Amino acid sequence: MNLNIFTYELKHFYRNKAKLYSYIVFMFLSLYALVNVYNIKEKQQDTINEICHKKEQERLKVIKWYENNQIGPDDKSWVNINDPFWAILYNPTYVIKNPSKLYPMGIGQSEQYGFYKQTKRWSSTYDTDMAEEISNYERLINGSVDFSFLIIFLLPVLYIILTYNINTLERDLDFHKLISIQCIKLKKWVISRLLFYLILILVSISSLIIIVGLASGGFEVIVQILKLIFLSNIYIFSFAIIYYFINIKSKNSSSSSFKMISIWMIFCVIIPGSVHQYANYKYPANFMTDFLDTNRKETYEIFELDNIDLHNLLIELYPSLENLDNFENQKLKDQAIRRSISAIVNQMNIHAANEIEIQNENKNKLIKSSYVYNPVSFVQNLWNSYTETDYYAYKNYRFQVQESITARNELMLKEIWNNKVSDKKTYLKYIQTLKLEN
Amino acid sequence: MLTIFKNEWKAFLRNKIFLFFSLFFVLLLIITTYFGILQNNQQIINQKSAQDHIRKQWDEMGPYNAHSAAHFGTYAFKPNSILSNLDEGVNAVTGVVLRLEGHKQNDAAFSESSQSLFVSQFGKFKISLLFQFIIPLFLIFFSYNIYTSEITSGRLKLLIVQGNSFRKIIFSKILTILSLAGILLLISILFQLLLNFNQIGVEEILRLSIFFLAYILYYFIIISFTVLISLLLKSNTSALSLTLICWFLWTIFFPKTIGSFTENLTPQSSRFLLQSNMDEDREKGIDGHNPEDMRIKDLEAKVLREYNVDSLSQLPINFSGILLQADEDYGNKVWDKHYGLLYSNLLKQKKHYQISGLINPFASLQNLSMASSGTDLIHHLDFLSKAELYRRKFIKTLNDEYTYGNFKIDGGNLSSRDFFKSINDFNYNGLSIHKIIVQYTLDILFLISWTVILLLLINVKTKKYLINES
Repeated sequence: MNLNIFTYELKHFYRNKAKLYSYIVFMFLSLYALVNVYNIKEKQQDTINEICHKKEQERLKVIKWYENNQIGPDDKSWVNINDPFWAILYNPTYVIKNPSKLYPMGIGQSEQYGFYKQTKRWSSTYDTDMAEEISNYERLINGSVDFSFLIIFLLPVLYIILTYNINTLERDLDFHKLISIQCIKLKKWVISRLLFYLILILVSISSLIIIVGLASGGFEVIVQILKLIFLSNIYIFSFAIIYYFINIKSKNSSSSSFKMISIWMIFCVIIPGSVHQYANYKYPANFMTDFLDTNRKETYEIFELDNIDLHNLLIELYPSLENLDNFENQKLKDQAIRRSISAIVNQMNIHAANEIEIQNENKNKLIKSSYVYNPVSFVQNLWNSYTETDYYAYKNYRFQVQESITARNELMLKEIWNNKVSDKKTYLKYIQTLKLEN
Repeated sequence: MLTIFKNEWKAFLRNKIFLFFSLFFVLLLIITTYFGILQNNQQIINQKSAQDHIRKQWDEMGPYNAHSAAHFGTYAFKPNSILSNLDEGVNAVTGVVLRLEGHKQNDAAFSESSQSLFVSQFGKFKISLLFQFIIPLFLIFFSYNIYTSEITSGRLKLLIVQGNSFRKIIFSKILTILSLAGILLLISILFQLLLNFNQIGVEEILRLSIFFLAYILYYFIIISFTVLISLLLKSNTSALSLTLICWFLWTIFFPKTIGSFTENLTPQSSRFLLQSNMDEDREKGIDGHNPEDMRIKDLEAKVLREYNVDSLSQLPINFSGILLQADEDYGNKVWDKHYGLLYSNLLKQKKHYQISGLINPFASLQNLSMASSGTDLIHHLDFLSKAELYRRKFIKTLNDEYTYGNFKIDGGNLSSRDFFKSINDFNYNGLSIHKIIVQYTLDILFLISWTVILLLLINVKTKKYLINES
């Protein structure tokens, strides 16, 4: 690298207002994007705090009932919190997907999913309250200005603005031969000039990632921060290599900018769009009729079963219940069986949800197989995985929701079939047992 | 002017790059339109099959308790219109399944974008992607040097000497490039007509006309804006750079930032807060399962008076059904209050976004494109509202049966299969474009204003050139 050329480029950059302002605007945009998503994170955090507060209030209310020897709310005479069925029912649980520490770095797919869910014994991972937070749909299709968008989609454009006329401007003005006459190898000269902008961009972006990453996540997330830096640098470097050849081969600046923009368009818009279209053609939007059948028709069929069949089904699914038949009379046993139906339905829901996950995974496999020629989607998904805002982060969240529903149903079965009586102490134990949510 | 136009076309057809890109776009358009229609029709079939599947379950039901049937409920599946393949609009991010049941209103769930990994920031490779992002970019590249190249080649002076006015030359060139864009648009529309021939009616033709006009105006804006910049800057490189920056701001940057800004301007409550407020409001009302509620007592007294009896057991009807319907009615009021505000805020946000057409013609284009394809927010809210209206009618029918039904099956309160079969399925009739076009007046006005202003500016600029030259 020729240091003189490098320093000359610094001067050129400083004097060229279009380039300088583009760079400054981009850096401001990056800060704006970081602040913008940070505000979204704060808003989510506020909602989470409200939920936690509400949950605590509801639990405190029940604890007070125990302390005052009250068996339930005044207006619901049939509720008896000494019965574990009601005690567990009156123990609210929420599963929350806390925004990750690196959330400001990339909003990813988080706007497509809900981030909190109250789990009840009848809940499932595909309930309608798992829908995304309220947003304007027309805003959602345009997306948010977030840091990952700036890096993956705008940074190559900034690089185009900064470098499209390197070597080609000289050709436009017809003095490119002067460079060779001055005994400088053309390629070396172009590389040195390009390197200035590449280093400028990489240093700026890496610094931003380090500062914001450490500020929002601390040293705990240093590995992810380093991964983000590595990913962004490799990504921009790849574009820089392609653009280098364009700089060398183009005959004028218009031609080079046209080619550069076309490359950007092909990789950032056309290929991902085509893959998206094909994936959707192959795996159209799922109306989830199988899941709806389980959630509704098959559930109602379970309700239609008589108690003997239900009991057999329960034993089949939960063999440990076989030895627990200590009810005073048949009426109480029948009540226990009817109250256990949700545990059967839960198993059916798990099975149906797994089927959906398999279907989704098939679509994901197709998308992943496109990464060879669709690097931008690969980078975006990898980035989202580092910021824990990708599909899989929310799939894990769904699993946590399922775990919570199962835990609730299993606790209910255990307590009901062991003929337990609940008091304040057991209620507090229930809280601990069901405390999977955070 | 016509001679220059013809000559321009001849020159274009001799230009290999132009020919290559024109053929490339025509081919791309045909492929995109064909696959778009194929995929859209597949989705329409899937939606219909899901709807039939659910209906079959309903028809097979019975004898059954009408109130249990209300809990069993039904589903509304969001349909695709035949023009959805032009512009997908909000369809990828909205839920496609809406459960309609007693006691509560649900949200549409299972959006397509939540069912897989992230793929594309700019959406699927639909016609809209091609027309909104790619073709304008190439129009810029075709038009940024139409003036400067004529100067450097010396052709401009020659043309002027031959008696052509500079204004005519520039407008002829603009029209030539515009005609190319028009041809591409027409090809796409013709393909729509051809492949959906049996389903195209007056409504669709009207929509396609709006689609065509919106895009042709936008293309005129793009081309004339580029030409104007090149007239002002008189340098290829600067003109191209500035136009590209503007294209980028219009197409990518402004929609995102202004979208976020409009959301902040009319903030919405979180889903949790909305639900909590609705629950609170609903608790104040009549709970169909809560016999101790004061409101129930009032209703009970009212019904006893009405039937002139002393106790509920003497009533010739099922009082529980009346309670359930009263609870529904109250729930509907609560829903109207909260969701009414939510929907009106969403429309307010949309209105604010539309105003951005003043500085960003792309926003106006995007709005009109979605509206003409039937995939905008207004169409989506219409689907949700109509589904809710159906739900109310559906639940009321079941509650009325539960209240006044003449039960003869098993001596219990089971309704017959024929009764359930007699309830019509949810059949969504989409909005007609003439009913909503008034809501797009701003977008139309902005596109026209941009066109007129650019026409005037180019007119002035080309006049000045002549004066200077002379």
